[in-house]
Parts: sequence; structure tokens; C-alpha cells
Amino acid sequence: MMKKIYVSTIALLMLSGCAQNTPDASGNVSDANRIGSDTISIDESNMMEDGSGINYNSSSDGFVSVYFDFDGYTIASSMENRVRHNATKLQSVGSRQVKLEGNCDEFGTDEYNYALGLKRAKAVKDALADQGVNTSNVVMVSFGESSPVCSDPTDECYAQNRRVDLRLVR
Amino acid sequence: MRRLLLLWTVWFTTNLLAVDATLKIEKDVEQRARIALVDGSAEHHEKFFDILLSDLKISGHFLADGNVYKGSFSDGFIDPKLKSRDYLLKYNLQLGSGTTLYIRLLRGADGTELFKKSYSIPDTAKMPFVAHKAISDINAYLKYPDISWLNRYVVFTRYAGKQTSEIVLADYTFTYQKPIIRGGLNVFPKWADGNQRTLYYTSYKGVLPTLYKIDIYTGNKSKIISSEGMLVCSDVSKDYSKLLLTMAPHGHADIYELDLSTGSKKRVTDFHGIDVNGKYVDNEKSIVFISNRLGYANVFRKAIDAPAVSPVVYHGRNNNACDTHDNKVVYSSRESSSSFGSNTFNLYLTSSRGGDTRPLTTTGSNQFPRFSQDGSVVLYIKQSSRGSAIGYINLASSQSLLFPVSINKIQSIDW
Repeated sequence: MMKKIYVSTIALLMLSGCAQNTPDASGNVSDANRIGSDTISIDESNMMEDGSGINYNSSSDGFVSVYFDFDGYTIASSMENRVRHNATKLQSVGSRQVKLEGNCDEFGTDEYNYALGLKRAKAVKDALADQGVNTSNVVMVSFGESSPVCSDPTDECYAQNRRVDLRLVR
Repeated sequence: MRRLLLLWTVWFTTNLLAVDATLKIEKDVEQRARIALVDGSAEHHEKFFDILLSDLKISGHFLADGNVYKGSFSDGFIDPKLKSRDYLLKYNLQLGSGTTLYIRLLRGADGTELFKKSYSIPDTAKMPFVAHKAISDINAYLKYPDISWLNRYVVFTRYAGKQTSEIVLADYTFTYQKPIIRGGLNVFPKWADGNQRTLYYTSYKGVLPTLYKIDIYTGNKSKIISSEGMLVCSDVSKDYSKLLLTMAPHGHADIYELDLSTGSKKRVTDFHGIDVNGKYVDNEKSIVFISNRLGYANVFRKAIDAPAVSPVVYHGRNNNACDTHDNKVVYSSRESSSSFGSNTFNLYLTSSRGGDTRPLTTTGSNQFPRFSQDGSVVLYIKQSSRGSAIGYINLASSQSLLFPVSINKIQSIDW
């Protein structure tokens, strides 16, 4: 009860501080910040919350993508929940073939970037095996920098491209 | 007296100022033939003129006058102000349903005709190749070192979207461009014969990357090999009988040698990291390649039939691409530490057996170095704040040229 009163009081105080947002005589809202700042736009259809702080995913068929540091191919501890999720999912698909697609950001060149994508796929395959899963039906392919999911010049965007996607082979 | 002065100058520059590249270039300038272009065409074609000029410059054998001179094609008249040139190249370009070019090489001093030839092809798109052929023919007539690399196709892959690319043919100036393989992801094109009739490329159409050989005139295609993970044809032996492949049948990128006549393949490197970009050196008894076996990408050398691996380069923390010609090695080195955004990549020339290392570029991002077939010129892609360009460096004359290009990100290139 006390908590409700406290929240209501804070809300009232905040509202009273927003007097400048009321329309003027001609009906215009005078808070330029509220109009000028763009709102977010989120597609939640392929997101997951797993405690890693990463809420995007470009895998399919119930698998989730595993992300990597710049120029790295070691699986970070923050990705362990994703590996465990994929291990469980892999066990449920029976004998169907699963493809691990290694990907990189745009900052490598030529053959080296394709090899880096492959090392990431291999790291995920080994991590799945460490979970006790049979990986004989897993096939790895590196797409290097050819398969970006994001092309904005931001660190978050580049991070989304340094990944391994998992999906069923069709 | 003049000869004595010249000898003294050469001795002085060679012995006391040998490291000063500028003086070396000045000396070379004196040795190049002075030539002017006289356009006898009905209409001046600026692009064609620029291509002729570029060909003359990058040859390293001519000091070309960049001014446009108009004049009669057929007569022997020499404008008095051009008589100091060693040679005049008169030309008549006719563009219609096809491309026709007539050329005459005259001696500047007296107008004597030294060489003449005509060229005719049925389309206009390949007009740049007519210019290249004319200049390489003049060069051959004057018995200068061969520059027939001007006439070769450059083949490259450019990304066209997510998991989509195009394999494109171009002349060395990129004026001519023609996509020859579209649809899906097709990468790492590599010429498969000396006449540039066939090429290898990696297709991602199936579950596994697959190497194909295709005839670019008939479209006939044959499967060479598939591999899990990745597959790249990095080099082809001089007799085109063996390939150096980057493959990953064990989950790691390693280098293999494939004998096309027997189908047998030999594992050349065996490392649980990254080994890529194998290139033949030492009469194809050894390879130079890129590996991260010291914790960062660097250039290494290894005999094909012996296990020892030794570094070729002892500077830089990210040397991630190279090419070779005989024992010459050109490599790109990242020289800034920004994880993202623009980085400085410079090109260096060294030997597979160690020795002197020579910087070839000093600014911007310079990558994808490739030797010409004769090893005399290095092609590369330059990215800078002013945009992208394809660059050429003539190693003997230190001449360099940049041609601005506006194309999507290049994936791989061969010449």
C-alpha cells in the first residue's frame, strides 16, 4: 500500500514538471524534444532473453545464434545458455541434418575472414559436443562477411554479424 | 662531357642517395621515351584518350604528353612544338556498330613512319581492350620489356546482397565491366589457364562449398571438389596441373595441394588455427601462406614436403593477405588498431627468403594485392576518404596509377 502511494506521488510530481507540454493557445505542443526525438521500432518475432544481454537472433527452426568478440572464435561465458539451448534443440531434431553457418563482420579480408567464420562454427560444434550431444549430423559452412544481418555503421550492428547461425538443412 | 655528367649523376644517386626513391624516379624519367598522342579521329573521344595515356604511363617505358593534339591522321606533318618528342602516336578511332582503330607511330624528329596497324572488333563495350592492344603492340615494336598484361582480363567478385554476389570481368582500368556469373553466392574466382578461357570459382549453391571450373565462352562447367566449412582455390601451378586449395575437411582451414591429373590431394599444412592463402614459391617446391599460429595473422613459408614453418615477415600485427611471383611476396599489413571503421592497410614487397622489405603504399586502406602475370606490376584495391579505386604499381619504374571505381564491396580478385 505504501509502495503504491509512493509511486503515485512520484508520478504526480513528474506530471507537474511537464507543464510545458500542454498545448498553447493555438493547440500546438511546445515540447520540441518529444516531437524531435524518434521513437523505437522493435521486431520481437525472433528475439530471446537469455541473460547474455543480447536479444537478437538470426538462426531458425528453434535454434539461437551464438555471438563472438571482434577477431575472436572463443565462446564467451555469456553465450553458454545459448549453447545449452541449442544442444537441447539438437537432440530433439533426431537424425535431421543441422547446418552451422559461421559469419564475420566486414572488417576482415578475403580468405582469412572465411576461415575466421569457420573457426567460429567449429567452436560451436565443439561446445555442443561438450554438452554430450551427438554432432555427427552437424555440417559447418563459413559465409565469411557475405551474410550480414545488419549494415549500420555501429558497434552493435557489427556485433550482430560476428555470429554462428544454426538451422535445419532443407 | 654530357655523358660524363650523366655517369657522375648515376654514380652519385646509386652510391650516396640510393635510398631516395624520388631521385631514382627522376633518373628513370630520363630513360623513358617521350611520346605525344595526335588524335586524327572525326570526334575526340576523351575516355579513349585517357586509356591510351594510362597505358603509356603504367608501362614504365614512356613519358607521355598529357595534352590533346588534333591533327590529320594520314599525313606526315609534325607540329613544330612536337618535334622534340621521340615518338608521335597518331590514331583514328571510329565507333559505330563496332570499334575500329587505326594507329601510326611516327618519329618525332622527322615524321618517319615506324609502325602502323588497324584493329576492328564487333562491339564498342570492349573498346578499352583495343587501346591496350595498340599500346602493347607499339611497346613490342620498340622492343621494350613486355607489357602484354595490359590486355588481360581482371576477374573479381563483388557482393550484390546477403549471400549474393556477382563474378565480373573487367579490363585493368575497370572501364569495361561485365558480370559473367550471377545468382547465389559465387566467390574466389581464379584463372585456370594462361589464355584466360577458364576459371575456378567456389559455389555455395549446395549444402557444401564446391569448386567448379567454367569455360567463360561456352559456359561448360565441371565440378572439381567439395569441402565442408570453406573451399578456396588460392593458386594454380605454372603448368596448370596442380592447385593450392584452402579446405577444411577436419574443421580447420588448412592448405592442400590437388593434383588434377591424378585427383590425389596432399595436406600441406596441419594446424588447429587458421592457415589460408597458399601461394607457390621456389619453383613450386614451397608455399607462402597466411597463418595465425603466432596469435595474429602473418605471412609464413613452408616446403611442401617438409614440416618446418618459418615466418617471412617480422613486422606488423595483422598481415592478412599476400600474393607471390617466383620468390617475390607482396602482402597487406594493418597499421592501425581500430577494431571498427577505417583502418590503414599498407602494401609491402619482400622476398620469400627474407631480405629487404619495401613499402609500396603509405596512405589509406590498400588490400587485395595481386601480381601481374609477369610479376612486374602489382594490382590492389585502395579505400580512402575520397572513395574506392583500383591501383597499379609498376615495381621497376615506381609508376603508380589509380582508377576510381564505384562498385559494391569486392570479395576477391584475380588477374
